[in-house]
Amino acid sequence: MQLSRSSQPGSGRSRAVWRVVLATMWAHGTGRFALVVMALWTAIALVSLFWTPVPLGLTDGFNVWAAPSLTHIMGTDGTGADMFSWLIAGMGTDLFIVIVTVALTAALGLLVESLMVSRSVALSQGSIVTVDALISIPTMLIALMLAAPLGATVIGVILACGIGYGLNLARVARPAALLAARSAYVESARANGASAVRVFFTHIVPNCMPVMIVQLSLSAGTALLAEAGLTYLGIGVPSGTPSLGRSIATSVSLITVHPTTVIWPGLTATILVVALNLLGDNLRDAIDPLRNPALRQLGHAVQSSDAAPEREA
Amino acid sequence: MIRFLARRIITLLVALVAISIVIFLLLRVLPGDLALVMAGVNAPASRVEALRTQLGLDEPLGMQYLHWLGSLLHGDLGASQLTGRPVASLVATRAAITFPLIGLGLLVALVVGIPLGCAAVLARSRRVRAVFQTIAVIGGAVPALWAGLVLIVLFAKGSGLLPLFPSQGFPLNAWHNPGAAFMSLILPALTVGLIVGASIMRYTRSALAEQMQSDVIAMAMACGYTRTQAVLHVGLRLALPQLVSVIGLTFAEMITGVMVIENLFALPGIGTGLINDVGHRDLLAVQGELFMLAAFFLVIGLLVDVTHRVLDPRLKG
Repeated sequence: MQLSRSSQPGSGRSRAVWRVVLATMWAHGTGRFALVVMALWTAIALVSLFWTPVPLGLTDGFNVWAAPSLTHIMGTDGTGADMFSWLIAGMGTDLFIVIVTVALTAALGLLVESLMVSRSVALSQGSIVTVDALISIPTMLIALMLAAPLGATVIGVILACGIGYGLNLARVARPAALLAARSAYVESARANGASAVRVFFTHIVPNCMPVMIVQLSLSAGTALLAEAGLTYLGIGVPSGTPSLGRSIATSVSLITVHPTTVIWPGLTATILVVALNLLGDNLRDAIDPLRNPALRQLGHAVQSSDAAPEREA
Repeated sequence: MIRFLARRIITLLVALVAISIVIFLLLRVLPGDLALVMAGVNAPASRVEALRTQLGLDEPLGMQYLHWLGSLLHGDLGASQLTGRPVASLVATRAAITFPLIGLGLLVALVVGIPLGCAAVLARSRRVRAVFQTIAVIGGAVPALWAGLVLIVLFAKGSGLLPLFPSQGFPLNAWHNPGAAFMSLILPALTVGLIVGASIMRYTRSALAEQMQSDVIAMAMACGYTRTQAVLHVGLRLALPQLVSVIGLTFAEMITGVMVIENLFALPGIGTGLINDVGHRDLLAVQGELFMLAAFFLVIGLLVDVTHRVLDPRLKG
């Protein structure tokens, strides 16, 4: 405890940690793929906020169901809107959905986790039992429950995914959290007067990090797939808002007209989900000082029981 | 075992009550007024008023809930406002399509997933393992809707490159013509099976890989098993409880998970029906169906937990 307090990380050191983490990820083929795709995705999402090849609202009434051409790279849909522009804008919407869902999942997961490892038997047993029971309710059903009153909204998608994945996260991370909660260093921290909140955030959370990062990255990918499914069913992203699900759903109606244009939206979604999953795997390997020797050499992880590097990363 | 079972059943009951409250509140409190929603925006006030009395919406919320709970306890899930058909019979008709579909899908998934998962662990060459890894990662990232589309483009009668199977719909006379009904389930079942198969493959691989770390495999090999035999006979048996849990939960999840596929292939199953009822604002039917599904998932969860304990003698005591 004392060590971590005396070595408050300066911004310079945390930048060094980041550089090592990124370099480690870049050194792996899959990590490099994930980083490149994520960077492109972010760039495209930002650009699509201000500019798309053809304005989204501009429908070319004389050019409906058009085949791919120079003006419309992926052709047009039944209203004459440019499929490529909608796909690009949809990538932006999905990036937003993925980021907010991951944040919600992490917040809910940690909240439930803190109850599960709490020292009050009533709280921990109660939360474990509740999660065990609720875990078998699929996200799709939560989405339907929310869609009945709310209709098709982005918030509905995010809430359904966040709730479902959050419970799952808490359950998956529980063994690691329990192990940390029963460890000698937590006992010593308590003996030194550390509060429950402090123990949770300085000792338990960093120890769950490797499991949580992988789980969160899976949730991110699954959220994107869920968006596609829910939007197709009419209970996801509302019509008129671009999204990958909307693009795939549009391509369903193109199947008899231009079967080849069916490829692009689905392929885009697949690549993004693969990148999200690989990002998680590589991030876990890169920020864990036990797995990444380069991080240990930075001189951080020498403070073994303190999990400072993870907290910064 | 008995204590475990008792605790688990009490949990189930508590969860059922909690879920029923959540479903009830979601459909009452959030949209404002159920009668208004069901009658439509342009309905005359008298019609809304009549509907409100008919549905018992002028009673206090607590009473309404207790009434609903009471009829649930009598096995009455309510009836559709549009057709008057009881929810239970609606769901039963739809289940006659959804359950064969997920049964077939799961069969495909197991036939694809378990051997691939075993092979991924058994492969010695780095490169071969990388290939299996790639299959698993990509298989888990494909949107179900798109996989279905690609299969339609490839194999559907009418538009496909290799026209083998009907692309959409289900015979109106359902299972009276088993051949036609079966054929119309093949493409959807393949779609579901390949995607779920990728996840079964990942679980098999990680469960087996976990066993490989233990001394058990080394012990079996010291006793004269080859590595392959040790993995398939000893490792797989030890991984079985985990796998059965995953397969059970996957089976349950597929009921709503195949919703997109049912929709794409125009199969009138449970998912399609539920979406239609939500679309038609048949909220009382939705309320009954949601509760029935949630109850079903909770019961499957319980069964899976019990099976896990039965299959894994180490958990006894």
